Amino acid sequence: MPNVIRDLSDTSSYWAAIWTICPLPDAHVICDAPIGCFNLVATAIPDYTDAVPHIENVTPSVIREGEVSGSGTAQTVKRTYEALRDSGILSDKRLIVVSTAESEMIGSDLSDLVTQLQPGTTFFHSESLSYDEWLGRDRVLQWLWDNYGAADAAQIAPEPGLVNIIGPTYGCFNAPSDLHEVKRLIEGAGGRVNLVFPYEATLAGMPSLAKAQVNVVLYQEFGQTLAATLGRAWLQAPIGIKATTEFVRELGRLLGTSDQAEAFIRHEKKTTLQAVWDLWRGPQSDWFSTISVGIASTRTYVDGLSAYLGDELGMQVAFKAYRPRHAGEIGNEEVRSLLHKSPPSFVFGSINEKIYLSEGGKRQTSFIPAAFPGPVVRRSIGTPFMGFRGTVYIIQEMMNLLYETLFNFLPLDSAYTAQNGGGLVSRVGIQPVSLVWTPEAKAVLDAALEKMPFIARISASRELQMRVETVAQQRGLKEIDAALAREVLEK
Amino acid sequence: MCPAFGSLRILSRIEGSHPVMATDTGCLYGLTFVTHFYGARKSILAAHLRTSELMSGEIVESTRAAIDVAAKEPGCQLIPVVSLCVAETAGLPEEMLPRRIGDAEVVLVRVPAYAIHSHPEAKDVALAALLRRLGQPEGERDDKSLVLLGEVFPADPLIIDAVVRQMGVSGTITLPGRSIDDLRRAARAGALAPLHPFYKETTAVFRGWDMPVVGGAPVGASGSYAWLQAVGRLLKLDPALVNATAESERDKAQAILNAQPLSGRILVTGYEGTELAYARLLIEAGADVPYVSTSIGADPLVLPDEMWLKAHGTKEVIYRKSLEDDLAALDEYKPDLVLGTTPFASAAKERGIPALYFTNQLASRPFFLSGGMAATIAFIRQMLTKGAQYQWMQEFFEVDHA
Ligand code: SF4
Repeated sequence: MPNVIRDLSDTSSYWAAIWTICPLPDAHVICDAPIGCFNLVATAIPDYTDAVPHIENVTPSVIREGEVSGSGTAQTVKRTYEALRDSGILSDKRLIVVSTAESEMIGSDLSDLVTQLQPGTTFFHSESLSYDEWLGRDRVLQWLWDNYGAADAAQIAPEPGLVNIIGPTYGCFNAPSDLHEVKRLIEGAGGRVNLVFPYEATLAGMPSLAKAQVNVVLYQEFGQTLAATLGRAWLQAPIGIKATTEFVRELGRLLGTSDQAEAFIRHEKKTTLQAVWDLWRGPQSDWFSTISVGIASTRTYVDGLSAYLGDELGMQVAFKAYRPRHAGEIGNEEVRSLLHKSPPSFVFGSINEKIYLSEGGKRQTSFIPAAFPGPVVRRSIGTPFMGFRGTVYIIQEMMNLLYETLFNFLPLDSAYTAQNGGGLVSRVGIQPVSLVWTPEAKAVLDAALEKMPFIARISASRELQMRVETVAQQRGLKEIDAALAREVLEK
Repeated sequence: MCPAFGSLRILSRIEGSHPVMATDTGCLYGLTFVTHFYGARKSILAAHLRTSELMSGEIVESTRAAIDVAAKEPGCQLIPVVSLCVAETAGLPEEMLPRRIGDAEVVLVRVPAYAIHSHPEAKDVALAALLRRLGQPEGERDDKSLVLLGEVFPADPLIIDAVVRQMGVSGTITLPGRSIDDLRRAARAGALAPLHPFYKETTAVFRGWDMPVVGGAPVGASGSYAWLQAVGRLLKLDPALVNATAESERDKAQAILNAQPLSGRILVTGYEGTELAYARLLIEAGADVPYVSTSIGADPLVLPDEMWLKAHGTKEVIYRKSLEDDLAALDEYKPDLVLGTTPFASAAKERGIPALYFTNQLASRPFFLSGGMAATIAFIRQMLTKGAQYQWMQEFFEVDHA
């Protein structure tokens, strides 16, 4: 039985390669891609995942029909390289050519070609037809080390107290906040951050990965292969009270700074974590056991959130949908039917879960973004899921959404509802435009739209229009005049 | 944006339409992402095409399996199968796909971006494919009705409909829209009026049904006047009525242009294929628009706008433009406002020049006839006053005052 995908959650290893290599400012990538694969990965998507206007150090070879139907991509890659070289962009950069699904599809292997380009140019075969983004990131991190780090690292000795962070790359949900918090934990435990790879690193500076005494891998999904290769002790970044406490303790032990780590934990309990203790002692925690949560996210977040919210705070975990999905775990098809039938009170997820909730008309469920895909700005460093600050942020977010739900349940005198036209019609049937609007009626519609915030107008214009047309149809009218428009829109 | 997205934009918005994509993982992820941002809140199904499926030639089987799932969606009447680069390279033979399943028509739409070139052209290919299958030219024609062709702000068809009815048009249908029935009955309308200039294949489908085509678009004072006259002639409406309506529209439009004159230099660039028309309106309102660029290719359909622009001070009109073309224009013309793609708009902002992403900001406002233009002009007027703010931001971030 062939595998059908519903709302793909994980992208390919080509994307992983671009999103992992391009944070390194002294790298320039030529992606061997049709224009669309470049536009999406370098602009259209990072606009809305990472809130960056565009990724500058990647250029497409622009595969067209000619390349597909026989000529192959070597010439167009070469031309792309020459144009970059002539523009001077490559003068202080190292060039990496990356394959895509389409270039792999037409069998374009450029391992030989790269030897004719700028000296030192390398070819990364992204295996985009086989691997997902997670395995992709893991592979490219290791490949970068093998090609740009390992040789010069041999003579570098580890320095006590230094800690690397492996991850994030572009396209990692909530990365700035989680990274910031993990740095804070490392310093709290008595360490010093050496290199954040690849987010704050350079190709040239890569050998210094060898300087760290301990490595912290930010995500469960990738980075372990490199951590193992580096051969030092490594820890996984934590989510939840217990995991974070253990993380700080263990890091202190590894660095020989246990006293400092213990002091930090004590201090955190009185400061950062005090909020959790206060909420626990307050009326808020009474709700916890009545709250159910569904979680669809990376393995890191699903495990972390379910340990914190379920095991530590006592909420019911309604479902766990892991990315990447392993055999036997629920996928989007199951999540969708769960959300249509019996959604939990909170859903942590991506835009997919949000769509399933709106398909099911589930307005009582609170949605919290916790994964890509989906547009969300997460550039503030104040929204971590990881670490001690993460425990506070998550519960704060949930409580505020709960208050919102409670507020919406409070009765409102129906006289006000009627005065405002009964709220917007939620379900709008789509019918061919067959009713005539007189110019005066149109002016009334415009005036009604003017009163709304601009963002709301876009969706409201159709709804308001349909509301009037529905009444007109009910009355068997062929024309909408100003009186009718006023009656419906201004009552 | 990947050019192929144009097809998903219109296919996902049709009520009862459940697109199935045939492509690789990365493409699927990106196109699903933008569909969920710009298209519809609609679950997207796809055949899983990886090395294993491609090697064993299971593309057809996988696609058919996805079609079966789509057919079970509530209210499913249409399953567009969107075939993209990898599937097109491997080959997806149409005759191996069902034409119908249950209540749903299955329509293959081939839009590999390596061959499509632009977002608007992908819209055209998709719409033409739908019309070829669904259009029902048999039966009685409504000789006085008009098909408006172009994806426009929802208020625009209302505005146009109200005005053309005043001169005797019996009704309008807007494509691409949200109704499958509109695709069927459009084939029996009296005339086709492309509001956007890139619906080449779609226009050919209508011509195949012997439908006359109105040239130009109801943009600005002179454009609206000419367009209404053309509609009147083609549909053989009462000339006195047509004249009265066209003149009144022209006067209203002129009054708006006079009341809200623009002054300043604007570069109009984008990938929507509608850039020339916007430039035209801005020039009529008094702006200086020396440079216009677009993703579509040169074509007889755009030629009238190009000639009009060249006659009104535009120095360069670039088709199939690249970011480099736009950047060179930024150096050359030193504009007060830039309308462009995100990389280009951000380059302008980095220089302290007010700039807008054409797709997000312009396509989301009414535009046509006197009733539509006011919103667009008011917005541009407002943006032209923002120079100091953009400069302040730029200096704050880019100039070292230490
Ligand atoms: S260029 Fe082709 S493969 Fe790439 S995203 Fe666009 S349609 Fe998909």
